[in-house]
Amino acid sequence: MAAENPNPKISLYYQTRAAHHGVVTSDWLAQAQAAAGGRSDDVVSENYLSSGEEDGKGFSVVDEFNNWRKQPELAEAVAAIRALASVIRSSQATTMMELEIELKKAVDSLKSWDTTSISLTAGCDLFIRYVTRTSALEYEDFDSAKSRLIERAEKFGEISYKARRIIAMLGQDFILDGCTILVHGFSRVVLEVLRTAAQNKKQFRVFCTEGRPDRTGLRLSNELAKLDVPVKLLIDSAVAYSMDEVDMVFVGADGVVESGGIINMMGTYQIALVANSMNKPVYVAAESYKFARLYPLDQKDMEPALRPIDFGVPIPSKVEVETSARDYTPPQYLTLLFTDLGVLTPSVVSDELIQLYL
Amino acid sequence: MPDVHSLVNECVTKLKKRKVEGSKATAKLTAELLRSFISQQRLPHSNQAGSLIDAVKTVGEKLIAANPVELAVGNVVRRVLHIIREEDLSLTTAAVGGLSLAAESDDEDDTEHDDHPVLSASAVAAAARNALRPPSLQTLLEDIPHSVAAPHTSSSGGDSEGKSKSADKNSVTRKLKHNVIEAVNELIQDISTCHEQIAEQAVEHIHHNEVILTLGSSRTVMEFLCAAKEKKRSFRVFVAEGAPRYQGHALAKELAARGLQTTVITDSAVFAMISRVNMVIVGAHAVMANGGVIAPVGLNMVALAAQRHAVPFVVLAGVHKLCPLYPHNPEDLLNELKSPSELLDFGEFSDCLDFGSGTGSPLLHVVNPAFDYVPPNLVSLFITDTGGHNPSYMYRLIADYYSADDLVVRGKSAS
Repeated sequence: MAAENPNPKISLYYQTRAAHHGVVTSDWLAQAQAAAGGRSDDVVSENYLSSGEEDGKGFSVVDEFNNWRKQPELAEAVAAIRALASVIRSSQATTMMELEIELKKAVDSLKSWDTTSISLTAGCDLFIRYVTRTSALEYEDFDSAKSRLIERAEKFGEISYKARRIIAMLGQDFILDGCTILVHGFSRVVLEVLRTAAQNKKQFRVFCTEGRPDRTGLRLSNELAKLDVPVKLLIDSAVAYSMDEVDMVFVGADGVVESGGIINMMGTYQIALVANSMNKPVYVAAESYKFARLYPLDQKDMEPALRPIDFGVPIPSKVEVETSARDYTPPQYLTLLFTDLGVLTPSVVSDELIQLYL
Repeated sequence: MPDVHSLVNECVTKLKKRKVEGSKATAKLTAELLRSFISQQRLPHSNQAGSLIDAVKTVGEKLIAANPVELAVGNVVRRVLHIIREEDLSLTTAAVGGLSLAAESDDEDDTEHDDHPVLSASAVAAAARNALRPPSLQTLLEDIPHSVAAPHTSSSGGDSEGKSKSADKNSVTRKLKHNVIEAVNELIQDISTCHEQIAEQAVEHIHHNEVILTLGSSRTVMEFLCAAKEKKRSFRVFVAEGAPRYQGHALAKELAARGLQTTVITDSAVFAMISRVNMVIVGAHAVMANGGVIAPVGLNMVALAAQRHAVPFVVLAGVHKLCPLYPHNPEDLLNELKSPSELLDFGEFSDCLDFGSGTGSPLLHVVNPAFDYVPPNLVSLFITDTGGHNPSYMYRLIADYYSADDLVVRGKSAS
């Protein structure tokens, strides 16, 4: 009964990100709509029928998730856990086992809906782990357990927000007066770090990469200009050219993998390589619920996350386009990770994951 | 108590005036001071650990402020705080375990009533354990109690079990001070014997006909090399003199007296000789949480030379040198500038260095930094009293010896 992604060629995660913070051109919109338009009716009716058969309520965890995900301030994992909370709320189970099975089904449908989003997977796994672990320990009746789970899930939004605050406090220590920071991609966590440093009256300037094709740099430079931080926009190819003026590189992460490396917007690996060759530190700001049990061995060792690129002019049909939206940066190019668990070196990540999952 | 305050002030003055120098001496001084402080501290009946922690934090803040570059002071303060938390936790779980056992043995027919308090007690212990552990993915979703919850849980555990157990609780919590002082004694013992423990591992790392390079003089390194010599390893040592203090000369003399073939070289000759060297062994002033080393000036250059010629760079450091902080600006914040007279003779250079002549600002500046920062990627191995470790493993040791709540030592404002 798993819901089908209307267009498996396009990564929904990156589409949502683009919608949040990219500058969307009309061409791209038309393209996306054309791709989705043909099958949307089938999908909706399919959902309706299948959920109608299953629990007769027309409730779809995927719809719930998509609703939450649309809010730009909400982290992906928070949206997922909120959706799971609504599953618990509308569940008719009478024992913990039944509830866990329902949750697992919901998680599977969420994961198959968007196979490319790592924080979705990691957030769901974390929540399931929490449910399994605490239901075994506590001896309480079912209703109080249920209400506790719903309450913790709702609280998770606060936890995520607190996580960003902690990371901002840790990260801003590393920003010294008079330094130049290179930022790639639009990460809400990195923005929080820069905001906190600016509020603490630190004098620094930021180089923003343009971030094609989402043009995240434009959005980020807008936000930084509001904070009165001097910003300079670079095209993606100008990174090596400007790297000697840079003191440190700050990036966010879509996911942190077991090796301690990160999966982030396309271009991060390139920047990390350049920074490493010029002995500049690369700092990653990521919440701990982004730690995922993946171990990519090379760039192609992940779920392909494709995203249409608008070149502004029509491309002849026999020309291929590399449309992957993300790349993997191995841990040896990263200096430190700022997480809500503290400042970590990349080798600590697998320790944390082992403690959680084994 | 006036006695304790005068002791504290005496130590603060000693640290400020740099009368005590070197991480081992300052670490011992701090530990002994905290031991006397704790033993003379009057503790309230409830929330013993909390008040003790606050008191130690107040004293610790003063000590750290007296000499912020001497990281061993802060390390020892944090170790003591961690000891207090641990001892309190083990006493709480022991008390709770004892109480739950008593509840079980009471009567069989009331099993349902007893189940609840027994399990809530174990939940309380689990919560207390969580409070002690650093934040982790496991506890992310849970309702993490406040950091000083451990003493709270001990009192709440007592309440739920009934008044008859309160007498038990009192005797148990009186042990806290005693246990803490015992543990601090162990800490002082560890600090004193760290040289021996490290030297025991010497024979595993130094082999026959090897050439070892070192810079300046470190007591740990000397004991290390001598221990290998005792075990009948024959090897040679290059000692870089370590300008401007030239302590390498003293080390070379000592080693020669012990029968080791020694060669003295200038710091500038390190790059020239490094290709003939099998291993570089040095001491450290402090080891940071990312595996970076604060070491006597000149060692960054030696580390770079060693990396260039693929020579292992081994750092010897006692566990009291391990600092849980991350260096974000080590060259400035963790460095000390010593007197220029070590470099230049005032008499000869008085006209260039004079503030009074000409425009009022001298043309000749002399910078004499005491320390260097060696980044973790240049270090091959750390040898501590607990064994040999990778730089990327340092975070584990920190989690063992320090609590996450103690990273910022700030006493509560006077109430």
